Amino acid sequence: MIGLDGTVLIVGAGGIGAPVGLALVAAGVRNFLVADDDRVEATNLHRQVLFAEAELGEPKAEAFARAIERLPSPTGGARVEVYGARALPENVLDLVDRADVVVDATDNFASRFLLADAARIRGVPIVHAAAVRLLATVMASAPEGAPCYRCVFEDIPDGLAQDCATSGILGPVCGVSGAIAAELALRILGVVRRPAFGALWTFDGATDRLRTVPVRRRDACPLCGPKRSLVTIDEARYEGPDCSSR
Amino acid sequence: METIVRIPTPLRTLTKGNDEVAAAGATVAELIEDLERNYPGMRDRLLDEKGVRRFINVFVGDEDIRFLDGLATGLKDGDRVTIVPAIAGGRA
Repeated sequence: MIGLDGTVLIVGAGGIGAPVGLALVAAGVRNFLVADDDRVEATNLHRQVLFAEAELGEPKAEAFARAIERLPSPTGGARVEVYGARALPENVLDLVDRADVVVDATDNFASRFLLADAARIRGVPIVHAAAVRLLATVMASAPEGAPCYRCVFEDIPDGLAQDCATSGILGPVCGVSGAIAAELALRILGVVRRPAFGALWTFDGATDRLRTVPVRRRDACPLCGPKRSLVTIDEARYEGPDCSSR
Repeated sequence: METIVRIPTPLRTLTKGNDEVAAAGATVAELIEDLERNYPGMRDRLLDEKGVRRFINVFVGDEDIRFLDGLATGLKDGDRVTIVPAIAGGRA
């Protein structure tokens, strides 16, 4: 059991990262590392609930850290280390190495697959949380064994998939996604004694349906399958739309 | 044979906003063809030349069709088919 002293790496200090941080601090998690290279914008405020108007233009990771460290906690408060850059092929393994649990709260597919690969290569559990319009999905992957994110979603999709480049986000749906991700992180830490892995969670805000479906190892999976071939981070594998300036 | 298909929010522009639609077919492949007849554009959103697009997951009940017979997976009355796409928003 990792426990409340474990370090949670939150990649993406925005609409999903905020509720993840809120819930984990309230549960007593003490140590965070937050990675984000973006700055607070007025259009973020409806869903990025840790930020205030006075912080417009400030680095998100720093504003996130201030807000988290101010929150009440049953364990006396949280400490947040700021990493003011995004996860990239050249730094992702070092980032993941510093964490006991990774929460992927990013807004693009390239970052999601990069984090999935790095977490598996380094043997660190990861929770992937996403939200687009009224749909949220969350899935946790173990440090070893199957299934992993690539078992379910295989590879960076083509232009028909939805990410920040093509779709809006409803703030409360981000909240649901982040709350589920925090719950799964607490399960991984051992604070909540329930299984964390092997399910894909979906929340449909149009019909109010929360659902889990079991997921299984895909034999051809290059990340966790029996013929595993993805064992290093190759920059060319993660080319995708960059949402940082949107 | 009629099957209820749960449509994810990104595809509801094709189903006039309906979150569930009925479709006919003895297999998942036939079901998708029936969806295409009634909701043009659906096939292209779900399939490419290799089969189901890699970022789309199709479940019959709780089972991913990858672990059944893929597009040849048989359907029976009362089955529910759920489509779950990969999505990536959240930070920006």
